[in-house]
Amino acid sequence: MPVIQWFKHIKLAALVAAIFAHGPLVADQMESAKDLLARMAYASKNLSYQGVFTYEYRGQLRSVKVQHLVRDGETYERVTHMDGPAREIFRRADNVDCIRAGDMLLRGGALKLDRGGYSKLEDLYEFHIRDDVRIAGRRAYRVEILPRDKLRYGYVVAIDKISGLMLQSMLINQSGKPLERFQYVDITFSEALDSVSLPAELVNAPEVSQSDCLISNQQVEPLPSQWEPKWLPPGFVLSSYQMQDDEESWMYTDGLAVFSVFIDSAERSRNLPPVDAKLGTTVAVLTKAQFNNQHYAICVVGEIPRATAQQIANAISPVILTPQAQQQGH
Amino acid sequence: MSDSKERLAESVSALMDGEVSEMELHRILKEVGIDQDQSTGRNSRGSVRGIWQRYNMVSASIAGDPVTMTDLSGSIAAAIDAEDTHKISPFANLMGGAGRFAIAASVAMVAVLGVQQLNSPDPASADAMQFTQMDISGAQQNNGPALQFPAGFQPNAPVRTVASGGNVNTSRPAAPVVTLKPSVQRKFSERELRGYMDDIMMKHSNNAALNSNHGMLPFARVNAAGARTDKE
Repeated sequence: MPVIQWFKHIKLAALVAAIFAHGPLVADQMESAKDLLARMAYASKNLSYQGVFTYEYRGQLRSVKVQHLVRDGETYERVTHMDGPAREIFRRADNVDCIRAGDMLLRGGALKLDRGGYSKLEDLYEFHIRDDVRIAGRRAYRVEILPRDKLRYGYVVAIDKISGLMLQSMLINQSGKPLERFQYVDITFSEALDSVSLPAELVNAPEVSQSDCLISNQQVEPLPSQWEPKWLPPGFVLSSYQMQDDEESWMYTDGLAVFSVFIDSAERSRNLPPVDAKLGTTVAVLTKAQFNNQHYAICVVGEIPRATAQQIANAISPVILTPQAQQQGH
Repeated sequence: MSDSKERLAESVSALMDGEVSEMELHRILKEVGIDQDQSTGRNSRGSVRGIWQRYNMVSASIAGDPVTMTDLSGSIAAAIDAEDTHKISPFANLMGGAGRFAIAASVAMVAVLGVQQLNSPDPASADAMQFTQMDISGAQQNNGPALQFPAGFQPNAPVRTVASGGNVNTSRPAAPVVTLKPSVQRKFSERELRGYMDDIMMKHSNNAALNSNHGMLPFARVNAAGARTDKE
């Protein structure tokens, strides 16, 4: 009898010890994964670098040379495709101080959701820091990011220990299979980049509208659209939108995944069939709608599971004004 | 489309993404075996094969891949049937041989019919024919390197699954069917559709480059399609 009780005590002590030992450990890992992602978000905006990355999808490999140059808080990018038809893109990116909704979430912020509650990255994904890896000749942390639901994909990313830049990213589907792989093979962060003279194409590249940048904890303005998504996957917030006469585009993000919604009433989209297609890891679901005698093509495009895109597309409906709201409008 | 058919279509769509569950897969494979229209031998619109073909065709046309509607399942099944395996009695062997010949002949028949069908597209779109013919040669080239996958990457599950699992239930050759366009009436051309989708993809990747922290990745994604479009 005393022996059994003694064992019980040991068991209890072990349990208590396990809880104490384990609890902080988990929190610690969580904390550092969050820190890593925040660093990654910062690095991708603030560093000047140049390198070559590969993009692999279903046995196809592409290599792309990039220059990302930050000058006086402004960002210039030069993207050169190294195989296939010659293509080169010169573009301006966001100013360094522009924080978009996705950055905010990745840096650990929370954003208010339209339907109440907040979007926070750790509510949507689990993070695990795995073994160290070596990529592009640099030491990196490998972080597994697993979605907590089936509405989005997971990621495996490698984050450079010194700079914090993402050196590798794989998109992982629900059964754990990699869908695509993005990976630097060579990258430098030399200070010499700060004195490289910018080619005219870069200097003259059009500026990017900074109207969707968030100031402190502000949200992106609500959509001034006659359409609204009646359903969104949990945690997705509006990140930017553009309105033109016959076309509007919205972009939503949960901090990692993004998808666009295009609503097009132009003539060219009139005869399009409904489409359910896949381009690489990007799905496109196009549905047709008629509202107030007007044709609309509603297209959801993003790196999200097909079922999610379909559900979003099916839930986009016209805003029905209540009588009160209509009166207010007059 | 009835509710169950709609669910089936969703499953097929999931299968294309390699996101199908074990149970769904079994249901699809079961349907593949029974859904062929007996009277015409063609794949009806709501059938698994029909849906599969349509999805693949739309997908391919948007991705800029060659659009081929050749159903190889029949000839593959015939080839498997024709393989000499586990034959016991010479008599059965002889009978089997005749049977196989008959099957092979019928496949050839339908294939010839199919090609004729392919070569007579509706006159409204003359370029559609050109498009298809061009793509046939493209498809043959495609069989090479595209099937060699680097470590860690796998081909999209569906092709493999249907090929290995499909012949269990459907060892009899199914008629290969070559139709250019399953939809009732076409008011758009593949080219138009592809142009529209390319445009939308480009806009999406531009937005994604600004709004996601994947930096340059969106540009690599869109190039996967853009490069092929440029070739034309």
